[in-house]
Amino acid sequence: MALYDNAHWLLSHIRDSFISTDDTGLCEIVMAKDDIPRELYESGSVYVYPGAEDSDEEDLDALSDSYDILMDMEFSHRARTNTAQRLEKMDLEKKRAAKIKHIKWENPQSMSSEEQQEMFNRKELHTDKPLAKQKSLFSEMLEKCPDLPKNPFTDYAKFDGNLQIGVPIRKYRIFMCMLPKELRAYPFQVMVLATAKVQEFIGYICYKYTSEHPNTHIHEDISKYGLYITEDDGEIDWDFPCLDPTEVISKFEFSTLGLVEMKPSDKARHKTTKVINQPLEERESIDKTPEDAAKDLAKMQIHTTAMEAPQYQLYRVYIINKVRAKIEVHLGISGDKIEIDPVNTGKGASKFWMRQRAVSYHIDNVAWCELGEQKGSKTTFTLVYTPHNNLTLDGFNVSLARSQSFRRSASFKNYDFEAGTVVAEEIVSKINHILQLRSSSSRKEYIAQKERKALRRKSFHIHR
Amino acid sequence: MSTEVNNVTSNIAAAAAAAAAASPSASVTPANDPVIFVTGGYDHTIKIWQAHSGICQRTLQHIDSQVNALAITPTKHIVAAAGYQHIRMYDLNSTNPNPIINYEGISKNVSTLGFQEHGKWMYTGGEDCSARIWDLRSSNFQCQRIFQVSAPVNCVALHPNQAELIVGDQSGVIHLWDLRSDHNEQLIPETESSIQDVSINADGTYLAAVTNKGHCFVWALTGGSGDEKTKLNPRHRIQAHKGYGLKCEFSPDSTLLVTTSADQTARVWKTADFSETLVLQHEAKRWVWDLAFSADSQYLFTASSDSIARLWSLTTGEVKREYQGHQKVVSALAFRDTMIPVS
Repeated sequence: MALYDNAHWLLSHIRDSFISTDDTGLCEIVMAKDDIPRELYESGSVYVYPGAEDSDEEDLDALSDSYDILMDMEFSHRARTNTAQRLEKMDLEKKRAAKIKHIKWENPQSMSSEEQQEMFNRKELHTDKPLAKQKSLFSEMLEKCPDLPKNPFTDYAKFDGNLQIGVPIRKYRIFMCMLPKELRAYPFQVMVLATAKVQEFIGYICYKYTSEHPNTHIHEDISKYGLYITEDDGEIDWDFPCLDPTEVISKFEFSTLGLVEMKPSDKARHKTTKVINQPLEERESIDKTPEDAAKDLAKMQIHTTAMEAPQYQLYRVYIINKVRAKIEVHLGISGDKIEIDPVNTGKGASKFWMRQRAVSYHIDNVAWCELGEQKGSKTTFTLVYTPHNNLTLDGFNVSLARSQSFRRSASFKNYDFEAGTVVAEEIVSKINHILQLRSSSSRKEYIAQKERKALRRKSFHIHR
Repeated sequence: MSTEVNNVTSNIAAAAAAAAAASPSASVTPANDPVIFVTGGYDHTIKIWQAHSGICQRTLQHIDSQVNALAITPTKHIVAAAGYQHIRMYDLNSTNPNPIINYEGISKNVSTLGFQEHGKWMYTGGEDCSARIWDLRSSNFQCQRIFQVSAPVNCVALHPNQAELIVGDQSGVIHLWDLRSDHNEQLIPETESSIQDVSINADGTYLAAVTNKGHCFVWALTGGSGDEKTKLNPRHRIQAHKGYGLKCEFSPDSTLLVTTSADQTARVWKTADFSETLVLQHEAKRWVWDLAFSADSQYLFTASSDSIARLWSLTTGEVKREYQGHQKVVSALAFRDTMIPVS
């Protein structure tokens, strides 16, 4: 690098590197007073690197005169190649294999009958039983070992990382923060299967702690506890939520964690209750009959259509104008507008009653969309809209349209379309999904108006 | 007996000594534990338990294969595991999780194994339709023997006279193989069934067999000592289980017979009249794969598909201990106990 021969630059770079890579901030405190590069620069005793003078005095903070300092956590370690790792593994295997004595089956050699007699000599069996009463050592040990209080967490014993071979495990230092002060001064080491869920890990911690300290009371309901990121001295970092109980523990790279009894408020915050129910749901899903599965799929289908509704889609439909003439148009529907474009084909395109202007409506101007009657394979559908400012292409116009529609009620107009039944249904559901999402003022107004009408009709019936 | 054991310069002892020398941590050879309980399963591990407390002490690695059967040597310092194409032996007195001896050269699964009473040789049976005798003495394969049958071997039992093997196969034949003379006899207790397990009591007076139809057959044995031929006299035929039978075993004091089955139970029968005295079943309701008695016939260990091994009291029928730690099915177990005189 060109500047490596510049003493001033090197000095200031070293200084900045120290300050910026030291997380404890100690370097900064130590070096705050003596900014040697700055002093040198001000005294003019060294050749200042180019550009240093240009920097604004105001901005000349600690880091302004350095190149980007890369925060490389791995320092100078070069990642080992896969080959190297594999070679090492093979080497270990070889060493291990060398310790094992291998004995291959050898087909029997002929054996002299004497040898055979001697080797497989029949033992005389004593049928008379020993009269002296005997007891087994195991029975005695079992009797001496009183029935241990059953560890309520034994179900989690299988997550013990110490007892597993050939499966990935993780080591953590755990502070038992929910215990009285004198018991939680030191973390305890826990080895757990890397595949265990956080919830299962908590269970295993409880199991291990209870088996080592049988007199400590730990709640049997482990959902009360949460694992929190903890400093090396056992101080909980409350800025972070507890580890998600459904996640696999190996996802979290922390070596020190704290087990904390959560208050109901914490629990609500982390939604752990939801988590506990989840395995049940999973089990249910397994037990589901094909019918249920089909229902679920249908539900998912609805969900997907709703999700995809705002995506732009072009349909070819017929618009039915005032004189009941059908004109083929492109109906473009997207999350923020609906466009109607005539398709100029056929002989009638030039006739005036067959003319259809290309229009575009902002989706907030669209109030309603519903299916009409079905004729054979065709179905009509109606689009209700507020006609003013139908070219609402920018934000200003949109707001104008809104304010106007507030003042001028009952000014709804509608378009009638006709399309194949399937297409019509698809369009209507798509538009309705979008409208539900937006719930614009014109839609609200239209619905309110509809209700008023219905009410009036009702009251009319009553008063009759 | 002890002098005889010491005189046998076995492979095992040599390998164990070598392993101990290799790892400095195990330089002090600890006394063999008088009570040993091991379990093995589909999770490719073998676990050593403190039998009376239910705490797992160590886990051994049984790579690439499930554990079909386990046996502890009479000297109690080695556990042997039968797996796919291998028999592996582990040192119980070291911290080495890997086997120290690997017996190979067998095709297919080894389904059963056991030891001669002084550890001179080991017998195995397997899916390669043969029962074998492995010489355990070093640099000497003199008594290596093989006995071939026409169907996969499910079970092998050693007559207490240490000179006859009872081999049960999948085609439903029970073979009596006299190791001294190589003479053998066949017996078919019922047609179209498979012999799942055979057991002889310690006195050599009874032989029991369970089939895949859940039937249990009992014979009274005569002869078998000196030059007299062992004769089987049919005694009982019990519909022991509704499902597939898996194991049968006489208690060390010969008063009880226990059968286990895929019907999720272990059943205890009195040998006095072969009537049922206890049904051992737990809530988990899974297959019961293996069993072992305490030396005084007071307790029974069972291995179950719910990945838990259990200890039952044979007087009350209640579960005394649960051994939890396996990740998958516990398919085999082995137990060695010591008798102590009561003052």
